[in-house]
Amino acid sequence: MTERTIGIDYIARVEGEGALKVRIQNNHVEDVQLKIFEPPRFFEAFLRGRSYLEAPDITARICGICPVAYQMSSVHAMERALGMKVGGQIRELRRLLYCGEWIESHPLHIFLLHAPDFLGYPDAIHMAKDYPDAVKLGLALKKVGNSLMTLLGGREIHPINVRVGGFYRAPTVNELKAFRPQLVEAMKLAETTVHFTADLDFPNIEEDYEFVSLRHEREYPLCDGDLVSSKGIKVPQDRWDDVFEEVQAPYANALQSVRKGGGTSYLVGPLARYALNRDHLSPRADQLAREVGLENVVRNPYRSVVVRAVETVYAIEEALRIIDQYERPDPSWVEPPPVTKSVTGGAVSEAPRGILYHRYRIGPGGLIEDAKIVAPTSQNQKRIEDDVRHLVERSLALDDPALTNACERAIRNHDPCISCATHFLKLDIERR
Amino acid sequence: MSEPAPTNPARTLPLPLIIGLGNDQRSDDRSGLEVARALRPLLAGKARVEECESEGIALLELWRGSDHVLVIDAVRSGAAPGTVHRLEPGDGFLPGFRSVTSTHGLSLAEAVALARGLGCLPRRLVVYGIEADDVRMGAELTPPVAHGVQEVTDRILAELEAEAAVGGSPDA
Repeated sequence: MTERTIGIDYIARVEGEGALKVRIQNNHVEDVQLKIFEPPRFFEAFLRGRSYLEAPDITARICGICPVAYQMSSVHAMERALGMKVGGQIRELRRLLYCGEWIESHPLHIFLLHAPDFLGYPDAIHMAKDYPDAVKLGLALKKVGNSLMTLLGGREIHPINVRVGGFYRAPTVNELKAFRPQLVEAMKLAETTVHFTADLDFPNIEEDYEFVSLRHEREYPLCDGDLVSSKGIKVPQDRWDDVFEEVQAPYANALQSVRKGGGTSYLVGPLARYALNRDHLSPRADQLAREVGLENVVRNPYRSVVVRAVETVYAIEEALRIIDQYERPDPSWVEPPPVTKSVTGGAVSEAPRGILYHRYRIGPGGLIEDAKIVAPTSQNQKRIEDDVRHLVERSLALDDPALTNACERAIRNHDPCISCATHFLKLDIERR
Repeated sequence: MSEPAPTNPARTLPLPLIIGLGNDQRSDDRSGLEVARALRPLLAGKARVEECESEGIALLELWRGSDHVLVIDAVRSGAAPGTVHRLEPGDGFLPGFRSVTSTHGLSLAEAVALARGLGCLPRRLVVYGIEADDVRMGAELTPPVAHGVQEVTDRILAELEAEAAVGGSPDA
């Protein structure tokens, strides 16, 4: 009887740090555990007793990579709780800010974290020696995203200009127009990126995912739309708790999200958004997806890198559209009504890595009584375990170092931001 | 007719750039940010001071065009908490210099290596590391690390003053 354990103490090139443990007995995969050591719901506890107006700025600090997602989910949850409707140019500016985050985050993952896997380098530093232009291209695109976030958010990390009801200050038409050339230049880089990613070599693997994302009647989703899945879910986005639940994994300090009832995994992020919203891509993004032969539903997790590139084109094209139709909103925010009774509101938005759910209960006077935050990575956690299990079942002939490396790749396919959901993390593969 | 204003070559040199790295929410991982905050009012007009809570890649953008850069970050090398390390990476590496909580996509050491590979490392880079103790969620420095923050603040002031006295950075 042989037992084999493979462990990775921390997963390189993943935001934050993580650990995976795989146990193999008699060439059968007994167990896969993606461990997430979460600071136990620190932010949810920290928010209780604070003014609901503080939530966007406090939650933005959960993640240095996707602060806009935290701000957008929190302001929409608060506005839903208060029965506010925010539309027009304020809504457009929010989409523009979110585009900045996608333009910043996707190239970071594509070039600095994911591409080394395909090109056979341990990391971007080694890759940069042979592919300096690719790394510089990624950095240049990321910079445009950062600059757009700075323009709208006040600063790029933990933006401070977002408030419940809108923005403290809306940019002028000229400020946005002046940004246009940077986006036009970025579009060329993003088009190159689509071709660069499509030309990589992909393992020939497909998974049977239940894709979950927002879906809006006429646009590729960022903040609005229903919560839908490829296996039949369709509910208003504030009904997340009706269809999903969080369960405590015995080995992890974090909660895992599963389908309510069946307890099965599901996938959020670019593959899911794309599969469920392919018909709402902008013209150039649509054309590029066709040019590189990207099918309408991509079930190969490795090819998520191409979908991220297509979504980057979408974000740039959408940003240009918003700038071209922009009129400065005055006032720049809708005044929230006084909170006279206990109210609850939930909202979902599309972080680069997938849907981020916030739900708040606000008491009379406006203090937060209860907060729930479900990050995309904790929603993908169980699904990543399933991917790793299938990978190991297919790859038992590999020696431990090769198998460990393959497991890391399988995890990185989903761009997990473990620092959002968690803190330190480690990885183990055990063969018996 | 007035005399043309005398030009002071020192004035035309770009100001040194000080970057405090860290995560404000993780106790001792905020030490670099605290040094930046302490230095900012003391170095007005003499240096540019930035705080960076992003991943290490942001450094490549922050220090673009700067000739003389000082970076302060929390570090764990096994030394006693609050211990101050001073390194000039030059052509070498930063051994053991890994961001404490790794919410940065790349650590400081990785960012330096990447910048070197891409040929965009500042001509003169000084790294101060402050040995961390507690990096759990929290907004307070542990006492030894608070002491380290004061020490680094004082040493950077002295370092910049000494260089100003000799008219710029020693190898200028």
